[in-house]
Amino acid sequence: MASRIVTFNLNGRDVEVMVKPLTTLQTVLREHLRLTATKSGCRQGGCGSCTVLVNGEPVLSCLLPVEDVAGQTVVTLEGITPVEGLHPIQQAFFDNYAIQCGYCSPGMIMVIKALLDRNPNPTRQEVMDAIAGNVCRCTGYESILRAAEDAARRLQTV
Amino acid sequence: MAVQEYFLPQSLEQALDLLAEHAPALLVMAGGTIAMPLINEGISMPEKVMGLRRAGLDTVRRENSTLVVGATTTLTQLAHQTDIPMLQEAVRHIGGWQIRNMGTVGGNLFAPPPAGDLAVALLALDATVVLASKQRGQRALPLTEFFTGFMATALAPDELVTALHIPLPRGKMSYIKYGRRHANTPAIVTVAAHVVVEAGKVVDAHLALNAVGPHPIRARRAEQVLRGAPLNAATIAEAAREAAAECEPFTDAIATDWYRRRMTEVFVRRALERIMG
Ligand SMILES: Cc1cc2nc3c(=O)[nH]c(=O)nc-3n(C[C@H](O)[C@H](O)[C@H](O)COP(=O)(O)OP(=O)(O)OC[C@H]3O[C@@H](n4cnc5c(N)ncnc54)[C@H](O)[C@@H]3O)c2cc1C
Ligand code: FES
Ligand code: FES
Repeated sequence: MASRIVTFNLNGRDVEVMVKPLTTLQTVLREHLRLTATKSGCRQGGCGSCTVLVNGEPVLSCLLPVEDVAGQTVVTLEGITPVEGLHPIQQAFFDNYAIQCGYCSPGMIMVIKALLDRNPNPTRQEVMDAIAGNVCRCTGYESILRAAEDAARRLQTV
Repeated sequence: MAVQEYFLPQSLEQALDLLAEHAPALLVMAGGTIAMPLINEGISMPEKVMGLRRAGLDTVRRENSTLVVGATTTLTQLAHQTDIPMLQEAVRHIGGWQIRNMGTVGGNLFAPPPAGDLAVALLALDATVVLASKQRGQRALPLTEFFTGFMATALAPDELVTALHIPLPRGKMSYIKYGRRHANTPAIVTVAAHVVVEAGKVVDAHLALNAVGPHPIRARRAEQVLRGAPLNAATIAEAAREAAAECEPFTDAIATDWYRRRMTEVFVRRALERIMG
């Protein structure tokens, strides 16, 4: 069971990790690199809480062997959070009460980031389609939809 | 026991070499959206795994009147082609965004029902599946012959699916997936129809059903009802009844076999009504 070295770009910096065969990106982020914004809900592809962006595309880090992202660009919630204050999407979640327990928030925010990068002014239906793979057990989604719409407005005025 | 080895071949040739050497102990994986949950849960404990993401099988191209789709084309990539709108429609009804970014066309052929919501469209389009092995080279098989039973296919242990060949459809198409929710939901029944109508008469009909059989199936008797008949309300009602009678629904957490059969009739009728216009 030979371990391998994998390098990829994480949040703007090149990282190098040594992993056992089939180690997932989620395990590398949370356990090797101690970046725990990316959550571990179901590890079944069903909850979306482990969503990260690979080359700008939202994917589930619990189903992705880290070796598959060698040489590629990964962005997690840590990567979009400024040193001071919050990213406009985070601020919109905060102001619209879209965070209760917060477990779904990192995944939701990364999907909404990917949506707004492609489509700065989405309709409510487009936001719903984008977050269809992300489960929230607290908010009832309404506040998350409002936060996404609010975030779109904020990002257009910066 | 933990996975001993993970291979990430950089070409089809490398992948076939690895498979010839390690099959059947080697688990093949494309997008991993079916295989990885089973591994994470400890239900599947393969010793060796081969990922196909880097094998270069993810291209979509037109060859005359055929759409050639590489096996590891992601569902999101497939949604970008515009030659066959039913394929875009099918993709829209699968999983959430992340699953579509990871899940592949080839992987959908192995999805246990009620999954298989792309495969059912490929069946209605009369797609051909291309298989390859190191020893015996390539062979092509109609998709109807590829499915052999519940989680069973004609794929040999040393073979990979490399591509699907999809003839551009001549007729009208209709696709309906019925589930408990609007999005990211398992099917109660999925209907894919491709019907060629000339001078008010059906000259050819392909009707495929998912989530009401051991794998995506063709509703042959309903197709018989349609062929040669005028496409009107009476024909459609009879075809829908036949489809409901000939399907083999099952009970799971989503729906009972009784309900699936009832809904098969309803949604075959609606799919054909859309084609009638
Ligand atoms: C939350 C969630 C929602 C989902 N929703 C849907 C849905 O609505 N509809 C639906 O149809 N499916 C759904 N799925 C199932 C799955 O995501 C799709 O069917 C997808 O297309 C599978 O492709 P994959 O490449 O990820 O499969 P993988 O997990 O990579 O492959 C599964 C198996 O297929 C075989 N295989 C795959 N590719 C090849 C190849 N090229 N050659 C030989 N063998 C191969 C291997 O045995 C492999 O182990 C869902 C899954 C999840 C987790
Ligand atoms: S932890 Fe990855 S989808 Fe739930
Ligand atoms: S805020 Fe608790 S799961 Fe969404």
